[in-house]
Amino acid sequence: MSLLEVKGISKHFGGVAALRNVDVQMTSGETLGMIGPNGSGKTTFVNIVTGHLVPDSGQLLFNEGSIAGTAPHRLAALGLTRTYQAVRVFGGLSVGKNIEAAMLLGLPGAPESAERNELVHWLRLDHRLASLAGSLTLFEQRRLELLMRLLQRPQLIMLDEPVGGLAVTEVREMIALLHELKARCSIFVIEHTMRVIRELADRVVVLMAGEKIADGPPADILRDRRVVEQYLGTTHA
Amino acid sequence: MNGRRLAFALALAALAAPFVLEGNRFLAFVFGIVMINLLWASGMNLLYGFVGLMPLMFAGIAGIAAYAMVALTREAGWSFWLATPVAAVGAALVGVLLGLPSLRLKGFYFTLCSLVIQTVLTLAFTFFPRFTNGDTGLNQIAPPDGWGGVPLAGVWFDATLALVATLGVLLSAWIVQTRLGQRFIAIREDDVLAEVMGIDVVRNRIIAFAIVSIYAAVGGCFYASYVGFVSPRSFDVLTSLGIWLCVAFGGRGTIIGPIIGTVILAPIPYLLQELQAFKDVLSGVLIIVVTLVMPAGIYGEIMRRRALRTAVALRAQAAGDPAGATATPAVAAMPGTVDAGVAR
Ligand SMILES: Nc1ncnc2c1ncn2[C@@H]1O[C@H](COP(=O)(O)OP(=O)(O)O)[C@@H](O)[C@H]1O
Ligand SMILES: [Mg+2]
Repeated sequence: MSLLEVKGISKHFGGVAALRNVDVQMTSGETLGMIGPNGSGKTTFVNIVTGHLVPDSGQLLFNEGSIAGTAPHRLAALGLTRTYQAVRVFGGLSVGKNIEAAMLLGLPGAPESAERNELVHWLRLDHRLASLAGSLTLFEQRRLELLMRLLQRPQLIMLDEPVGGLAVTEVREMIALLHELKARCSIFVIEHTMRVIRELADRVVVLMAGEKIADGPPADILRDRRVVEQYLGTTHA
Repeated sequence: MNGRRLAFALALAALAAPFVLEGNRFLAFVFGIVMINLLWASGMNLLYGFVGLMPLMFAGIAGIAAYAMVALTREAGWSFWLATPVAAVGAALVGVLLGLPSLRLKGFYFTLCSLVIQTVLTLAFTFFPRFTNGDTGLNQIAPPDGWGGVPLAGVWFDATLALVATLGVLLSAWIVQTRLGQRFIAIREDDVLAEVMGIDVVRNRIIAFAIVSIYAAVGGCFYASYVGFVSPRSFDVLTSLGIWLCVAFGGRGTIIGPIIGTVILAPIPYLLQELQAFKDVLSGVLIIVVTLVMPAGIYGEIMRRRALRTAVALRAQAAGDPAGATATPAVAAMPGTVDAGVAR
């Protein structure tokens, strides 16, 4: 079943065309990667799908219903959520209070305390509950971000460069976590480094200057000469 | 510290004070004024300390309610006890309507917008004198009616104010630990993230605004009937700033902070009546001190130092005792977090 359907999305900022007539489809259970050089419109794409920005034109369907113009807090209740390229937690509150804030959504069937503890344990935040979220390491904050989303039982989580800024060993751990995350929800992941995409994604969309230039399994995309030349040729993959 | 016990002690002190001060009419009057300011400060704190918005039109909303209350009692012959709730609900509606355009703004921009609204309200009080009597003001405002038709006066009026202020503080302490209060705190900490976590930011800001407007309005009605005189200057931007200073100086985002701030600052204008110029200089200095030296206010500063000491003690303990080296580091009490001083 189609989980997310984005048809003909365009977005301009003044004279800059951040997205040009982009189509993206995702089915339930799929892990979709998005790559592209800096400034190619990846974050703008997520901003539009999650209700942070209004597109100039195009259609947005989630679970086959239109979500155009739907506010982010409504999307959270519908099961569509995101993380940010620059990590974002309630830095002035303790980890425990961050968890409480995530539970405020109050959906029926929200995780009971046993499941909550299991999630906290899985993301290795048990010993941090009393610490200020702002005092955690970047990797811990990224895990807290994931935890707060999972407590809201999302159907689709859109991750904007989840390994950005992490050390090499942490990247490996994060990839392992994201692998396990697949069992819990569908994932849309923006990445800069090819490695994450190759290991995680079932399918990849390549953006270039706001245009989709390729869409297919990672192995095929890596063989695509245009992508290799324009993208892998210009950045260190 | 046991929050409940402290709350009980403070409430008892407030309710007993009018009877202690009964012999000194001047001090009793200053006490009554402090109680009205305490009600105002605990309302302002809900918005400034817990939602993170600084409403400079606070006094304007209090003014709308006060003028409405006087009109309803004088011209329609209503009882104060009926006119006040009606005026409060009306002022809350007007406050929300006036606030609507600014509710999508945040931080400095919200404050600026609220300053404009306050200025317009002050001008309206002056230039539409039908209900306000313009700059001359309204005097001989009747006190509320007490038991058996006797007007409320003296110690019983003071005690009534103490009761109203106590209820206002307790209500704010209750609100901040409900789910609504937790949403307020999430919005204060990061409104974009709060929205993504499923919190309707604009709606919750409107709710906060309505609640705060009611605090402003009830305080305004009691102020008018207690002092017996109001003019546009009673409800100008300086009044808003004075209430804000009580909150910021004492410790925003805590329940005890605004109490400390109000008890210290609210009596000053009355006690230093002879030194008008000095009074203005003093509040200017205090604003600078709060902004630069103690952004978390007196109580926030106390909590910060206490947390530091705990952290140092824990480290010392960990150094002497290797088994304790893995102990969880103490949480630094951030200025303005809900943990800091909410009476429970
Ligand atoms: N809010 C905004 N205002 C103006 N320009 C923007 C805004 N957001 C993004 N852009 C521009 O749109 C283009 C795409 O940006 P972005 O989506 O952040 O790229 P990516 O995430 O792929 O690095 C860039 O040229 C960027 O400068
Ligand atoms: Mg980006």
